[in-house]
Amino acid sequence: MILTRSKLGLFRYVLYGHAALVMAFLLLPIVFIALLSFGSSRWLAFPPPEWTLKWYRELASDPRWADSFWLSLRLALCVTILSVLLGGAAAFALTRRRFRGRRLLKAFFVSPMIVPVVIVAIALYSFSLKLGLNGTFVGFIAGHLIIAVPFSVICIGNSLRAFDIALEQAAAICGAGRLQILRRVTVPCIAPGVMAAAIFSFLASWDEVVISVFMASPQLQTLPVRMWTSLRMDLSPVIAAVSTLLVLASMLLMVVLGLAFMRRNPK
Amino acid sequence: MSDAIPAVRLTDLHKRYGDFTAVDGVSLDVRTGEFLTFLGSSGSGKTTTLNLIAGFDEPTGGQILLNGAAVTGLPPQRRNIGMVFQRYTLFPHMSVAENVAFPLSVRKLPKAEIGTRVDKALRLVQLERFAARRPSQLSGGQQQRVALARALVYEPQLLLMDEPLGALDKKLREEIQHEIRKLHHRLGVTILYVTHDQEEALRMSDRIAVFEHGRIVQVGTGEDLYHRPATAFVAGFIGNSNFLCGQVAERRGDTAVIALPGGGALSVADASIGGAGTAVRIMIRPEEIELAPDRGDQARAAIPITVRERIFLGDAVTYEVTTADGQNLSIRHGQAQANRFPLEAGASAFARIAPERCVAYTAT
Repeated sequence: MILTRSKLGLFRYVLYGHAALVMAFLLLPIVFIALLSFGSSRWLAFPPPEWTLKWYRELASDPRWADSFWLSLRLALCVTILSVLLGGAAAFALTRRRFRGRRLLKAFFVSPMIVPVVIVAIALYSFSLKLGLNGTFVGFIAGHLIIAVPFSVICIGNSLRAFDIALEQAAAICGAGRLQILRRVTVPCIAPGVMAAAIFSFLASWDEVVISVFMASPQLQTLPVRMWTSLRMDLSPVIAAVSTLLVLASMLLMVVLGLAFMRRNPK
Repeated sequence: MSDAIPAVRLTDLHKRYGDFTAVDGVSLDVRTGEFLTFLGSSGSGKTTTLNLIAGFDEPTGGQILLNGAAVTGLPPQRRNIGMVFQRYTLFPHMSVAENVAFPLSVRKLPKAEIGTRVDKALRLVQLERFAARRPSQLSGGQQQRVALARALVYEPQLLLMDEPLGALDKKLREEIQHEIRKLHHRLGVTILYVTHDQEEALRMSDRIAVFEHGRIVQVGTGEDLYHRPATAFVAGFIGNSNFLCGQVAERRGDTAVIALPGGGALSVADASIGGAGTAVRIMIRPEEIELAPDRGDQARAAIPITVRERIFLGDAVTYEVTTADGQNLSIRHGQAQANRFPLEAGASAFARIAPERCVAYTAT
C-alpha cells in the first residue's frame, strides 16, 4: 500500500493539515450562516452582538415562507416520481434494446446536463409563454423534469447494465409473468439505482433556481426563488434562518438514507 | 421403441441469426423420465437448442412438442419447465427459502403449502439449515443446489440444465453430479442436460446427443457413442481414440479389406465405406490395441511398431508408439497386462488389432 500510515513519517501531518483545510473550506460557510441565524444583528454582523431566536419567529410568522416550502416540496415529490418513471423507461429502452441511433438518443437524454441551464430556462420561458404554462404548477414540473430526468437515465441505466438478465429468464421459467418479474425481481435488484435516481431528481428540483426564476409568478414562488428575491430585496437574517433549516433537513435526509442503506446491507 | 408420447419432440428445428445458423435441423425424441445430455463444444448449438425449448428464443423453423403439445409461441412462464443455469441465478434480494418459494408464490399457492413444499425441496438438496441465508452467503456449490431446489419445487414435467456445474471445481462437480443423478432416479423427472464435458456426459446420461455445427451428429447411450461412433468427430469427442490412415484394398460383400501403409490388412464390416481405392481412417480405442512380441493369430491384424514413450499411470501404462510409416498411436494397457510384456522406450513390437473393435470412416 502506498498510503500505509506508519511509512509516511512526518509527512502524514502535512496530509492531516491538508484534509483539515479542505473540510474547513467546505464547512465553514455553513457554520457561519448557522451562527448568523441566531445573531441579533439585522445587518448580519459577525461575531453577533447578541444571540436571539427572533429571525426564526419572524420566519414562522410569515406565511409566504411556508407556502414556498410546501410548493417546493410538492413540486420536488412530483418531479421525483415522474423523473424516475420517465427516466427509468428510457433507461430500459437504452440498455435492453439495440436500435439505430441508440447512442445518439442516450446523448440526447443526458444533454440537459451539458447545455447551460440559463439557455434551457430562456428557451422554456418563451416556449411556455405560448402554451400559457408560465407561472403554473405544471410549467414548474415540466421545467424541473428537464433537469431531473438525465439523473434518472444515468442512475437507473447503470444499475440495469450491472443487472444479470439471466435472473429475468430464471424468474420467467419459474412461472412469473412480465409484471411479476418486473415487480419482484428486476425492480428490487436495481433498487439502489432507482433510489439514487430519486434522490438526485428530488434535489435537482428542490434547489433549482434558474428555471424557477423564469417560471415563477407572484403566487407561485419556490423556496429557492423566494430566497433569491429575499436576498435581492431585503437582506434580512431570516434568510440565514431558512438556510440553517435547509441544511438541517439535508442532514436529516442523509442520516435516514444511511440508516436505510445499513439495514439493507448489514455489515 | 414404444409408442408413448415423448416428453420432448423436436422436429427439424432451426434457428438463424442473420447469416449465422445456430441450430440447423435438429430432430430428437426425449423419452419421459430420460436423462439426455446435449454434448458439444461451444458454439455447436446445444445451448441455443435448450433456450428454444425453454422459450427464451423462438425457432425460425421446425417445431417443439412437450408431451405432445406444440409450445411454439408460448412464453417460458407457461411451459411448466424447470431450469438451472450456468451462472448462479438466485435472486440476490431474497433468502434461500424465498428463492425456492418464488415459483410457488407466483402460482399463488396457499402459504402453508408453500412452506411444506419449500422445506421438502431444501431437504432434497440438503440445505434446510441454510433457509434463512442470503445467496451471497453461500458457496457456489450450495447456490447451484438452491437453484436446483427452486427448479424442482413446482414439480415441472421437464428439467433443463445448462452447464450447471461449469463454474465449480472438479471435486465439488463430481459430488453434485452424483446428487443430480440420485435425484433423477428418485423423482423420475425428464432431464435435458447441456455440457461440453464428455466425462460428465458419460457419467450422468441415459443417452447423449452429440452436437456439431448446429446439428446432432449422433444420439445414443454412452456405450453406443464410445464403441460405435457415427463419425470421426464423435470418436474424437468421446474418449481417447487413435486414427490410422489406410486404403480399401478390396470389398467382400459388406466387409472391406483395408490395407495399412506399413503392410498388414484389416477386415472391417462396414457397408457404408466405398470400394477399392477409397482412402479411409480407422478408429481404434487405446485399450483395444494389444502390444505383443509377435504377429499372433490370423484373426487379428498386427502392425510393427516402435515404442516412443512409456508413461506409468498407476493402474495403467500408456505407450506412445510409431508405426513403420510414421503414424502415431496411443496404447493403454492395464497394470497386469503391462507386466506380462514389459516394454521400454525404443523397443520394437507388434500392435495387434481386433477388426471387430475398429470403426472405419471415409477420409475427408
